Amino acid sequence: MKSIDEQIWDYIDGTCSPEEKLDIAAKIASDQEFNLAYQEMLQVHQLLDAEQLDEPSMSFTRNVMELVDLEIAPVALKTKVDNRIIYSIAAFFGIAMLAILIFAFANASYTMPEFKLPKMQLSFDFTPYVTPLSIKIFLFVDVVLGLFYLDGFLRRKLSAK
Amino acid sequence: MKQELSDLALITIILEGDTAAYAQLVKRHQRFVFTLAMRFAKSREDAEEIAQDCFVKAYRALGTFKQDAKFSTWLYTITYTTAMTFLRKKRLDTASIDDEGGAIQLENHISDYNANGYEKASGHAYLNQAIGLLLPDDAAIITLFYKGEQSLDEIGQTLNMESNTIKVKLHRARARLKEKLQYLLKDEVKELI
Repeated sequence: MKSIDEQIWDYIDGTCSPEEKLDIAAKIASDQEFNLAYQEMLQVHQLLDAEQLDEPSMSFTRNVMELVDLEIAPVALKTKVDNRIIYSIAAFFGIAMLAILIFAFANASYTMPEFKLPKMQLSFDFTPYVTPLSIKIFLFVDVVLGLFYLDGFLRRKLSAK
Repeated sequence: MKQELSDLALITIILEGDTAAYAQLVKRHQRFVFTLAMRFAKSREDAEEIAQDCFVKAYRALGTFKQDAKFSTWLYTITYTTAMTFLRKKRLDTASIDDEGGAIQLENHISDYNANGYEKASGHAYLNQAIGLLLPDDAAIITLFYKGEQSLDEIGQTLNMESNTIKVKLHRARARLKEKLQYLLKDEVKELI
């Protein structure tokens, strides 16, 4: 339950709902105590609204610029790393891998020797672990991860506006 | 007529190498940054030092500004943290103006006021006095809300708080301010409030 003060400040700031606004306006019109509190708060609000900003000294901008001139010029972080350097490194490793692959294929003998796969005893039975409960847990974790992703995606979209 | 560049356009120009354009950003925001600094420092000299410091810090970090929020919100965050660091360094007793100590502080301020000979002080001078009697956080929230053109969400970002917390704090700060004003103005209160 909001106090009278909170209701009136919300009314003055315009942060209440249309229904609350009508309700408070009616109270201001009918209740003398409410009206008195409203008048007081409104005058504080108007006084604050009309308040002038303080003015720094005349040399303020000059002083700041003198200090700023001693600093290293700022650079946008995304341009600090030159993309060409990244591409050069990627190209070097790409070419190196390609060269190794070509060399390996060029020197490979394509005759298939006769060999047998070693026999492995894989008798592990997964069926006891695949229960309705484990499937539900798996799906629940997937849904939670999906919601995390959706939340992050929507936040990014909102901040981009 | 020359069109004024937006903050973001100016930042782009600065990051491209025209550092002199930073003077325009400083001129645009210096009054508010200085006013906000005054809410913490109380003396003009200290407030100027804080304001200068935060403009230099903002310049250094300009490359990291993500441009997904208003530059002013980002700058005010720097101002707030710089001012808080300043307060800690100066070891000012920020909790001295509480409910119990308020009356004593008020009396001192009133006597200072008279001693300075400001007999014809306007309502705004009283308002500044009353804001000066608030806790720095309260004064900062009021200043950001009324003079910084900041929404509750943006003030929340600046002060690293939830917007609902800011809303409650703003209500309380204004209630305290009303009390301080009523105390300061006494008989004149009926005229102004």
